[in-house]
Amino acid sequence: MPQSIRAGSATRAAIFAPLDGAGRAELVLQRLTDAIVLGVLHDGERLPSEAELARQLGVATVTAREALEILRRNNLVHTKRGRDGGSFVTFTGGGATDLQDDRLLAWSRVQMRDLGVHYSAIAGLAAELAADRASAADISNLEHILDHTDAGTADAARRGQGTFRLEVAALSQSPRLVREELRLQAEFGSLLWLSLREPLRRERCKAVQRETVAALVAEDGARARQLTVSQITESIEWLIEAKAVLEQKGRSTMTGSTSSPVPTGAPA
Amino acid sequence: MTIAPGHTTPPTDACVASIADVFDPVFSRLEQWADLVERSAARPGRVLDRAELDLLVEKLVRAEFDDSNGCVIGAGFVSAPNFMGWHLAWWLGGKNAASGGLPAAGIRHLETVEDPLEESFRDYTALEWWRVPARTGRRHITGPYVDYLCTDEYTLTLTLPVYRGGSELIGVVGIDLSVDQIERDLVPRLDAGGVAVTIINASGRVVVSTDAHLATGALLRLPGLTELLADRTLPTTTLGRGNAHSFQWCGRTGLAVVAGPAPG
Repeated sequence: MPQSIRAGSATRAAIFAPLDGAGRAELVLQRLTDAIVLGVLHDGERLPSEAELARQLGVATVTAREALEILRRNNLVHTKRGRDGGSFVTFTGGGATDLQDDRLLAWSRVQMRDLGVHYSAIAGLAAELAADRASAADISNLEHILDHTDAGTADAARRGQGTFRLEVAALSQSPRLVREELRLQAEFGSLLWLSLREPLRRERCKAVQRETVAALVAEDGARARQLTVSQITESIEWLIEAKAVLEQKGRSTMTGSTSSPVPTGAPA
Repeated sequence: MTIAPGHTTPPTDACVASIADVFDPVFSRLEQWADLVERSAARPGRVLDRAELDLLVEKLVRAEFDDSNGCVIGAGFVSAPNFMGWHLAWWLGGKNAASGGLPAAGIRHLETVEDPLEESFRDYTALEWWRVPARTGRRHITGPYVDYLCTDEYTLTLTLPVYRGGSELIGVVGIDLSVDQIERDLVPRLDAGGVAVTIINASGRVVVSTDAHLATGALLRLPGLTELLADRTLPTTTLGRGNAHSFQWCGRTGLAVVAGPAPG
């Protein structure tokens, strides 16, 4: 029932959904780092205990402990002892750029493009189906969301894009597409829409959202899909260009060294 | 009543009865809850507070989740803002997808943002499951929709308005049902003499259909259907090319049955 009551909480739920596959400590670390950098977990928020975190993510307690330890070292959480103790998020957004740059350097071009292809498959088909399945009421809800999203800052624009994509996915009426959309947003959302750092890109994003709604109104599924896929492609290409710039910077500052990412922590 | 020539009774009568078999018992429970909430709210000389309301609603809804084959995902009462403030007394079963496949730990209360000043607060009185019953004063079925914020389930929401003293709207009582389970219950009972039967909601969205070409969640597109759904005065009629499809509203549920030849 509470459709749309807890905007933003869906991605939160996805963050604490069970993990599968190998390299779990790294996955736990990545997911929590993203959630913190993305602002899904807020500054000052208490994280679940080691045991609780392990239970929710479906990993061993030692794995959760290891991930929390690295988060502490990276100054993304701090731990308080005592009755009101626990691990608390300490991140005001100041160091986000460094962390995001680290990720840009760590991902290969092939990985980025593949993420783009995967996400296009999900979001593109969702948009295509939405054009066939959205009712007039659905469209006005979507317009309401667009009218009330603020694209003033990179964070706001990224949250707005996340909400918009999720709503479009919901209009596809496919629970699987919605789940996959959520999972991809929780894991890669911060990276995927990094291009929204630039004001011009934010304006462009908003324009594409409006055009997508117009395509849904016109019941033009092919157009809705095409707008979505090209928006994702543009964003991935922006990432690849940004990566190239960072690599060049790395080469000129670190003589002789290759572009391996330097583990930088956010300032406390 | 308009009945297509040649028919003494609408061919979809049996389907409408089957739909009533599935939804009427749920609405009867909602009527009971509405009655009990209203009585607690209307007691002279005693003011009902949130804690007491929550206790009452939890007691009422708990039995809904006992049946392991049941299709109830969530249930409860949602307060009108001028009654208890922004408040959801809403419970979820322990077995839905959001619990991550972990062992069911009974039912859990849905935590929501109830402070209008918070960024993620959402005015629920604008949502269909509130808006429609509040406007019409009658029961309403919302969906099917993917409830991604709550349970990840494909959901139908049944709601009924609750009035104090017969006129003051104090909230809605509701139950979320799983569309999968509704399909299992309903499809075997849909028979209109060999033609395809499709149940749609008031927006023309397919709830279930015996036609393999019609997906649940898709909008049924037939000439004249939009007009028919907007004008609710005809309980039964025919529509489509050559008036080959029969149409019938299902009582007061807001659902309708369309029966006719499946597209070739």
